[in-house]
Amino acid sequence: MMHRFILLAAAFSMSACAHHINTDSSELDTARAAIAEAKAAGAEKCAPKLQAEAVASLYWAAHELDEVGYHPEENAELIAKAEAKAKEARSQAKNNCAPKPKPIAKPKPVEIIKLSGVSFANNSAELTPASIAILDSAVATLQRRSDIDVEIAAHTSSRGSAAYNMSLSNKRAASVKDYLISHGVPAKRLSSKGYGETQPIAVEKSRADEANNRRVELRVMN
Amino acid sequence: MKFIIIMLSLFAFAIPASGAGFFSSIEDRTDTMNAQLEGKNDYHANLARALADIASEEKAQHDTDVAKSFMTMAEEHAAQSGGAK
Repeated sequence: MMHRFILLAAAFSMSACAHHINTDSSELDTARAAIAEAKAAGAEKCAPKLQAEAVASLYWAAHELDEVGYHPEENAELIAKAEAKAKEARSQAKNNCAPKPKPIAKPKPVEIIKLSGVSFANNSAELTPASIAILDSAVATLQRRSDIDVEIAAHTSSRGSAAYNMSLSNKRAASVKDYLISHGVPAKRLSSKGYGETQPIAVEKSRADEANNRRVELRVMN
Repeated sequence: MKFIIIMLSLFAFAIPASGAGFFSSIEDRTDTMNAQLEGKNDYHANLARALADIASEEKAQHDTDVAKSFMTMAEEHAAQSGGAK
């Protein structure tokens, strides 16, 4: 009777001890390495759920390796799951932890030189003869103020489609730029951009209002 | 009699510090842990939940000792996440 009691008490005491899971088995090498790589990539912080699932699968696989009645196929699945989750965690961590690019501040013009009177043939980027004198004056200004860089900004009225007006304004700005370059202004000081009908200066109730909105400006950028 | 007292003392020392955990069911311990981890989504909280799931699966396969081991590990990670063990 006493012997039986001793055996029972000893067995119960042993069962109360914490079960240790050994993850050092060589069969777990690749999964362990994948988890370590994910951790190094910041997965615990940036992909915590995936990394936790990988580690839990590793522990489970490690336990199954030690178990009596070990099933190699089932354990291979657990190891593969640990690896796959770790790789996914690493990839997600790289994305989530990557520093977000700072938005590039768009330079704002410090001064706008209006080229009043510069005009083009209808639906065209061809400069009218009346524009030549105005552009020659602009060339003189740019040569005198050799320290400034300018953006040539062209605008249209709202007549026509927005896409067409954007395209037309781009061509008109480029046309003015070509003229200035051909008359001696260094190309590196010039850029051109069409704004289409996006920046009107007048509410278009009449033809005069539309004409006001069709304009070319030199935007001093420095 | 003396021997019985010694054995009972040994048994008492062998019981884990968390006596409540030792005697509670895996389901109860999981429920308690999940309540403590509510709203937490860090690594340790996620690992605690994953280990508790394994504990439940092991228990379903009638491997009670292993289930308890995984549950203990789950509770340790829950504690690291800020949930009380």
